[in-house]
Amino acid sequence: MAHAAPLPDPATRFLAAATDGVRGVPVSSALLVADAGAAIGFAGGLAGALQALFTQRSPAGWLAMALLCAVLRGLCALLAARVGARCAEAVRAGMRLRVVAAALDRPAGVRHADDAAASLLSVAVDEVDAIDGYVARFLPARRAAAIAPLLVLAAAAVASPISALVLALTFVPFVVLMAFTGMASAARSQRQFAALARLSGLFVDRLRALPVVLAFRAETRETRRLADAAAEVARRTVAVLRVAFLSSAVLEFFSALCVALVAVYAGFNLLGLLPFHVPERLNLGRAFFVLALAPEFYAPMRRLAAAYHDRSAALAAAARIEAFEGVPRAPVASSPSAGLRAPAIRFEAVAIRFEDEARDVVAGLSFELRPGRTLALLGPSGSGKTSVLRLLLGMAPLSAGRVLIDGEPLDERHGVAARAAWVGQTTLIVPGSLRHNLLLAAPGAEAHEVAAAIAGAGLGAALLRRAGGLEASLDERGGQLSGGERRRLALARALLKPSTVWLLDEPTAHLDHEAETALIATIASARAGRTTIIATHSERVAALADVVVRLGASS
Amino acid sequence: MNGGLDDLLAAGRARQSRRFRHASTCAVVLGFAAVSLLGVSGWFIAASAAAGAGGVAVAAAFNYMLPSAAIRLLAIARTAARYGERLIGHDAALRTLASVRPALFAAIAATTPGRALAVASGEASTALVQDVQAVELQLAQRSALAGAGAAAVSGVGLAALASGAAALWTLACLAGLLLAAGRLSARAATTAVAVRAATGALKAQLAFLESSQVELRCYALEGWAGETAGRCSAALDLAQRRHAAALALFEFVQAGAIGLAAGGALWLARGAGVPLAALAGLAAAMTIDGAAPLLRALAHRGVANEARRRLDDLLTPALPFTLAAVRATRPEIVLSAPIAARLAPGARVAVTGPSGCGKTTLVETLMGLREAAPGALRIDGRDAAGLCLAALRDTFAWLPQDASLVAGTVRDNLLLAGQADDAALWQALSDASLDQRVRELPQGLDTWIGEDGARLSGGERRRLALARALLRDAPWLLLDEPTAGLDDRTESAVLRGLKARLDVTGQGLIVVTHRVAVVALCDRVLAFELAPPGAARIDRAA
Repeated sequence: MAHAAPLPDPATRFLAAATDGVRGVPVSSALLVADAGAAIGFAGGLAGALQALFTQRSPAGWLAMALLCAVLRGLCALLAARVGARCAEAVRAGMRLRVVAAALDRPAGVRHADDAAASLLSVAVDEVDAIDGYVARFLPARRAAAIAPLLVLAAAAVASPISALVLALTFVPFVVLMAFTGMASAARSQRQFAALARLSGLFVDRLRALPVVLAFRAETRETRRLADAAAEVARRTVAVLRVAFLSSAVLEFFSALCVALVAVYAGFNLLGLLPFHVPERLNLGRAFFVLALAPEFYAPMRRLAAAYHDRSAALAAAARIEAFEGVPRAPVASSPSAGLRAPAIRFEAVAIRFEDEARDVVAGLSFELRPGRTLALLGPSGSGKTSVLRLLLGMAPLSAGRVLIDGEPLDERHGVAARAAWVGQTTLIVPGSLRHNLLLAAPGAEAHEVAAAIAGAGLGAALLRRAGGLEASLDERGGQLSGGERRRLALARALLKPSTVWLLDEPTAHLDHEAETALIATIASARAGRTTIIATHSERVAALADVVVRLGASS
Repeated sequence: MNGGLDDLLAAGRARQSRRFRHASTCAVVLGFAAVSLLGVSGWFIAASAAAGAGGVAVAAAFNYMLPSAAIRLLAIARTAARYGERLIGHDAALRTLASVRPALFAAIAATTPGRALAVASGEASTALVQDVQAVELQLAQRSALAGAGAAAVSGVGLAALASGAAALWTLACLAGLLLAAGRLSARAATTAVAVRAATGALKAQLAFLESSQVELRCYALEGWAGETAGRCSAALDLAQRRHAAALALFEFVQAGAIGLAAGGALWLARGAGVPLAALAGLAAAMTIDGAAPLLRALAHRGVANEARRRLDDLLTPALPFTLAAVRATRPEIVLSAPIAARLAPGARVAVTGPSGCGKTTLVETLMGLREAAPGALRIDGRDAAGLCLAALRDTFAWLPQDASLVAGTVRDNLLLAGQADDAALWQALSDASLDQRVRELPQGLDTWIGEDGARLSGGERRRLALARALLRDAPWLLLDEPTAGLDDRTESAVLRGLKARLDVTGQGLIVVTHRVAVVALCDRVLAFELAPPGAARIDRAA
């Protein structure tokens, strides 16, 4: 049930921009107009058949025409729906790509949010799908509703100009009544909108809060509240529908009115009993023709009204998608050549604070890391270690201080990502062979480079264990690899990519003692010649480093 | 609640049976009026033509009053009946689901914790709401069958006035249409299932990409990520295209049936005279047209039935009632796994350790939101695996890591903990250092916090959740990161309030934290280590 509310202009503009110039829409509306044409043919066929019967001829030819036109009508409707669906598909695909790109390039100030409503999944899939009906059904129907009735009117005028006049005259009161009921309906749903939005959101909200509701043993109380809210929603929605359905009742009424008026007029004309003089005298065929056309005059409007809900849903979705995409960021100035030398990294009184947080995650952090050296960031969880690493990749905001890479300020958008490699607690693994996973880091790598990376990361043992070696296929989660092997895969990637900065985030997390020792040894040899920063809470890993910085829990 | 979804729906429908009957009555009137309007109009014109051709005397003798009045009456009846059917039908459906939603909620709350929590995720709850809406739409379409039946009866009846063969032909066309629609409906159901599966796959893929953002950035894989997402998106588009094609066939089949019915009836009735032939032709066409709402209901049937099946799956019978309850008002807690500790009543314990090493699991187990392994936890000497969940949840007052407020007023959130008067509410807010902020809100305790209302910052939400936990009368406080995101001054104030309250109530405290100030409040520290399962854990005393 649509709760229409005044939507901000940005949503309308966004929707218009996204759906402007979609190539299939004129085709779809042309098909809908052709549908009206076929309806005219159908009416003509029936009328001709009756006239033929009236004049003692065989109606077979006319009936055949009627049947053909009916089938043609069906075809037009079918094709219009399919073309509409294709257009919607094109718009959807483009919009999804934009949303995904926006999500992957989020402004650094926002911490990765868990809000279900604003999440990438909900926006990229559910909201984008809501635009569907607007493109597939509403836009073609709107265009057709401007043209098709004129076609019907013209056809009616050929048979009986007076009837056509009658049809056309009903249009003025129709518009007036539609405007009136439309305004009344909008006003009423506007009054109910805020309350309805809150109340109908309660159900999903309590579902999401189920752990807390259960924990506080508030099931009974909340069920009662939901019952009250649901009854209230039903009551208010019906109050809105009572007026909203009036609009469609007006449409129905005028559709029926056309039939009645034409029938009565044509009948009286045929009887010759009209109380006033008219310049035409109908015969059965023409009279029946306009009668059969009468319902078709408002049919395009009815189709548009049926698609109107799609428009409201699309506007609401557009508002959310637009909010998600956010402010476009200025394009990054092309970074100077990355260079093959390991850089020096210097932090001067750096502070990191995310939006909507009361405290700096990291404050007053200063250190100097010479090229090719290793630094360990030690501290308990929540002390900002990962945030420092993310800062270097442009994924956390620099709230105060400076970061200098080889004396140049850090590029705030991408940081050192171009020449950095990452080894974290989770490793990106995609379905495919081991080789494919490795080559993600450096698509153009040669076989000997791959072999060197595998050797350097100590992956050789893992390869020997597996049938197929490099070609052994991995699934979604990389379940065939142990924790340690996954870290080594990440290390191999780091070796493959010509990277001079290594960022390691808790590289030995969840590993047993043996695996940790082995991995530490591997890291120690592999990191040669690279400026490395390791975030860890393990003293053994910190022992690798030349510089140790403790991020205090009290800072 | 032991019944499946059908029982819930039947109970709801029974309460609204009067409205459903009225909607069906309107549908019957509509079916009759729609068919008759066109039929009588066609007959009227043809009869007038015949009478007019017979000369002035015949024309004057023609009884035109009755048919023209009937036509006008039928036009009004059709409009009113359609309005009535839509409004009453939706009303009945809305009210039925209004009683089903809370029952559904209660039933989900009563299932196993794992299942209940699975529903609570963002995606699952969205899907559940969509399923409920699909069922609601199906209910609103209930009167379609009555309407189609009435249209069929009147249409066939009118055609029979002209020719029995025409009547039979109309009936045969209708039957053929419904058969074809049935097959199309099955196909649409299959394509709908495929769409849902593809949607799930795309969402899973996007979730995966979102969680790998850092590596994507490092290895410049954003383009690749876009392509991967694009492929999944293309798969979804294909499924949606097939579904749209399946739905589009309904219109085609209907248009063809109208043509066949009208043409055939006219042909078969040609011997009965022109007026009756006109009547038969138009009546046949409108009979098929009267089945349009039924066709729409059939198109929706697949989606609705799948939704019902999924909702039904959720409503497994409630857990068997276990007798054991916690008797002591100040129970002792003994943990054996994953860490060994004995916590005396009134103890204050800090739980520390890096993320992902079992602290959250422990908290969920204590709260009865996760099945306890036998022997891992004993409360008041009883194994937690044998205690009823109510007992576990009565033992602890919980502050979850993500604060977990509900959409409602400040008062609604606080009263989740149980009945309390305003004085108690303000006291709890004061202990959580939030009273000043709430006083500043436009409606104080009755301010709506949520999408439309006053937004609280992260730290304020946490403090509100803390006040809620403080309000609960439980022997143990279980707080997960109570001071995360708070600045030092606020943190000290909160801890002062907490300490004062604990000194008065004598409640025990288990707090998961990494903040030094919070650990300082406790007598004991349980330190979790990042080690694989099976390794020995260390329990250090502060």
